[in-house]
Formats: sequence, C-alpha cells, structure tokens
Amino acid sequence: MATSVPAPSGTTGSVLLSARGLRLAYDERIVAEDLSIEIPDGGFTVIVGPNASGKSTLLKALARTLKPQAGRVLLDGAPIDSYPSKAVARKLAMLPQTPIAPEAITVRDLVGRGRYPHQRMLRQWSPADQRAVSSAIAATGSDDIAERYMSELSGGQRQRAWIAMVLAQETELLLLDEPTTFLDIAHQYDVLDLCARLHVEGRTLVAVLHDLNQAARYATNLVVMKQGEIVAQGDPNDILTGDLVQRVFGLSSVIITDPESGTPMVIPRMR
Amino acid sequence: MTAVTLRAGSWLSLPVRRRSLAIAGFLVAGILLIGFLTLTLGRLGIAPDALLPAILGTSTGPDRIVFGTIRGPRLLTAIAAGAAFGIAGTLFQAVTRNPLGSPDVIGLSSGAAAGAAAFGLVWTGILPLPVGALVGAFAAMALVWAGTGRGFSSPSRMLLVGIGISAMAVAFVQYAIARAGVEQAVVVAAYVNGSLAARSWEHVAIITVSLLLLVPCALLLSRRLQLIEMGDEQADALGARSASTRLSAILIGIGLATAAVSVAGPIAFIALTAPQIARRLSRMPGPGILLSALMGGFLLALADLVAQQAPFGVQLPVGILTAAIGGVYLGYLLVTEWKKGTV
Repeated sequence: MATSVPAPSGTTGSVLLSARGLRLAYDERIVAEDLSIEIPDGGFTVIVGPNASGKSTLLKALARTLKPQAGRVLLDGAPIDSYPSKAVARKLAMLPQTPIAPEAITVRDLVGRGRYPHQRMLRQWSPADQRAVSSAIAATGSDDIAERYMSELSGGQRQRAWIAMVLAQETELLLLDEPTTFLDIAHQYDVLDLCARLHVEGRTLVAVLHDLNQAARYATNLVVMKQGEIVAQGDPNDILTGDLVQRVFGLSSVIITDPESGTPMVIPRMR
Repeated sequence: MTAVTLRAGSWLSLPVRRRSLAIAGFLVAGILLIGFLTLTLGRLGIAPDALLPAILGTSTGPDRIVFGTIRGPRLLTAIAAGAAFGIAGTLFQAVTRNPLGSPDVIGLSSGAAAGAAAFGLVWTGILPLPVGALVGAFAAMALVWAGTGRGFSSPSRMLLVGIGISAMAVAFVQYAIARAGVEQAVVVAAYVNGSLAARSWEHVAIITVSLLLLVPCALLLSRRLQLIEMGDEQADALGARSASTRLSAILIGIGLATAAVSVAGPIAFIALTAPQIARRLSRMPGPGILLSALMGGFLLALADLVAQQAPFGVQLPVGILTAAIGGVYLGYLLVTEWKKGTV
C-alpha cells in the first residue's frame, strides 16, 4: 500500500469508520448476519461480489441510510446514530447508485446542494460554500458544463456532476455505490482515475464496483463478499486468486499480471 | 450568476434569484390589480375614488357594506385560500416527487367534499359543513396512509391509492346528492365544488391564522424538501432526514389544504396548477413555497373575479370554473408524465 496517505487529522488513532455485528435486512428479507468490517483510514476500499451478495446494502449501512436491525456502525469511535445527521454528513458523503436529478437544475446548483450539511437556516450561502462548490467543480473537470442543465448532459458528464456534489460536502470519507454503472468504458476509467486522485489527495474512499479487474487495479483494500459475508479482505495482490474467484463467483479463471498497472487481472477460462 | 445573496453580518446570507424576485413582484402587482377590479367592477362596484375610504372604513352608505360584508371578505378569503392551496400543492408535489401528487388529485379535496356531503345530507345536524369537510379530508388522508401499506414513504403508492380514494369519495358525493331533497342538494352541491360567495370576516380570520402558523413551518422545511427531490437515500446521506421531512411536509400540507377547504370548499386544481406554473415561470429547481403561495392567491382571486363578473347568466361557484380549466391542465399533465414514464 505504497500510495496510501496518512488519514486527515482528528482521527485520534482509532479507525474512522467501522461496523460490528450488523444484521442487515429489507423488511423481512435478511441480507447479512453478524457482519463486521473496518475501513482503513486513507485507503481506497473497493467492495466486490456477485449480485445480491449484500455489497450495496453494506455501503448503505455504513452511510447510515439503512438502519441495521442489530449491531452498530461506528464513526470516529462513537455509534453513527449518536451524531446529529448533519454532523455525520460533514464527515461522510455518499453517492447512491441512482440519485434523481431534480427538474431544470444546473450542474452548479446541483453541486451547491452538497453544501446543505454546512449551512444553517439563515446562513444558506457563505463564501466558504462558494469556494467549496467552485473547487468541487474544478476537481471533477466540470467547469465547461457548470452552467448547463443536468438533463442536457451525457451519462459521463452527469456522473461527474454528482461526484462534484458529494465532493462539495468536503468530507474525509467518500462512499460511492457503483459509480461506473451505466457509463461507457472510457468514462468508467475517467471516474475511477478521479477516485484514485481523490484518494491520493488524502480522502478515504469506499466504492462498490462490479468489474474485478478495475477493482484490483484501483483498490488499496479489496473486500470480497458472498451471500452477506466477507470472504476475503486485503491488498488485491495478496488475496485475488483463481481459487477465490472460483469460490465466490463460480467462475474458472487464471490470474495474470496487468501489464499496465502490475495488479492482478482475472482472465476467465474458455469453456 | 442569476442569484444575488442577501447578507447581514455573518449570521445572515440568503441566496435570492433575480428572476424569482421579479415574478414575485409581478404576482403581487397582479393580485392588487385583481383586488381593485373585484371591488370596483359590476353593479355593486365601489367607485375608484371612493375605494380608499371604503377600505379604511371611513365611508358611509352602500360602499361600507359592499366592502365590509360582501366583496372585501370574499376577496381576502380568495387570496388567502389560494395561497394555502398553492403551498399545500407544492409540499405534496415535493414529497411525492410528482406534479400529480397534489392534494386535489390524491383524494384530500374529494375527501373533504365527501365529508361535507356526509354531514350535510346523510347524517344531518351533527356537524356544520366546514367541520364535516375537515373530517372528510383527514379520513381520506388516513385511508391513503393505511392503503399504501407503508404510510407516506412510497410516493408512487400514495399516488395510486390516492386516486382510488378520490374516485370513491366522488362516488359517495354523487350518492349523497342523488338521495337528498332538491333544496338541500343545491346548497351542498355549491359547497362540494367550492364557492366563495357570502364569505365573512370569520372566514378571513380562520385562513389568515392558519397561514401565519403554517407558512413559517413550511419555510423551515423548504431546503430539506429540495434534497428529498434527489431521492430519499441521497437526502438521508446529506443529513436531511427524509422520513421526518416527508411526514412534517404532509402534515403541514394537510393543515393548509383543510384550512382552505373549510373556508372556501374543496376548490379544485389550484393546488395542482399553482406550484407548477410558478416553477415553470421562475425556472427554479425545487419547490418554491412563497412563489406557489402568491401564484395560488393570484389564480383563485382571478378565477373568482371571472366567476363574479362573467356573463354566465348565473353566479357560478368558483370551483366549477377552476375545475373546468384545471381539468384541461390535468389532462395535459397526464399525457406528458405518461410519456416520461413517471405515472
């Protein structure tokens, strides 16, 4: 993990985000039982797993948008639901899989909504808000589309705008639920490169991804889930084996070294 | 930038859009103009130069009665009830994320009509009509809440159940009118369509107090409502607590809509159209509480002016007029939303 950067100050040595003994369910349907995880500070954690393995559900629980039926999520050492919701949103930002762009909204206005946790009833637009919005737009390379309406944009541009919105929240932690879905391959790598840069600049990232090779290339900490359990976790170079892929995905494969990045690469066998 | 920021020290900074401000100005001017026309036109109209004394209460003779008991309370009730409908509409549309999710489409207004019909025609003498309307409105919303199986947390279910409840309420009104005597039926028929004829200062007081109490609550919610538009999950992630926001908005909306219904009857389509027109004119993303209020007041005052002065041969209840015009808009909305796949 040569690229990992020390966590931002204020973390007092303990892990910033972790979960213990979670039971996660939608109404009656239990997705995970007794699930625990620690998110390494300053790392780029990528969660992978087959469909319905509970990876998005875990992300929602970490972002406190899904309340666990048992167990707890700890933020900075205290239960996440013991903080006011806006205080959590100043530490932890989450981009859901399918956010809804309001009608007739420009990119700049959308990004501005990410400032909500920093605003108060009578102080809705401070110079700090202005700066955060501008730098989030710049960081995602969205300057050229800032004044355009979301409805006019391509999928890749729209995703950049959404990421700019969560960046404007100015949080140490950034959680992204399948940020590359629905994008063509070039835009997928645009988004992933952007994530990698944010990570190098010191943020802690957690993303759910579908593509194993992308996960292996970008993750500093890979979490592999199956049926609501974490089967393996660690540096992709250490844990990603043909045996693991067989066990988790039921896919027979060979693992080679990615000639570009030197990370492991899954090549499915001919059948 | 099209926004200016209102600042005072470091504690106050509110962004204000120039376009919204201009539209608000036009609406206020429009409401004043309609008020002027309402008071001066027609057989009973007050002469323009006698208007100020009449409003200040210093005039004597017929002008005093025309303003004090006939047209004054009627005009003010129209403006205030229209504003209440407008805000209720924008709150409901925001939490259902759908322009069709307004109280007059999802059963609140027809529930109120059914309540009025029930206590005016079927179980007579128990409750006065306006209170019956309140009971009906709350009963309809309770049925929507129970009928979705998830309370108010699922916008699409709220819409579907609400439209069903609305149809049932309309059927009940028809039944009640069909079995009633002619004289009774005429009174209730006017009420169930919504009418502003013969309002008193008591009506003005009821709706004004309701607005004074509930508008600040609605304004406090407005920014959280903006976030709910981006989906509950995103709103929760930003710290806007979608479940409590939605419930508060619905309760405030029910309060405003029922207050308006109790003074003006279930006037159709102001709640549906006012927020949408305000939003399209202002090109503002998100619910605009104050603009919707001004637009609602403007529309209802305008409709009532037409109802009073247009040569229909009879004095139509204003609700029939708004229903006729609003029905066209509802049809248009259904077609466009259908094409977008949001219905």
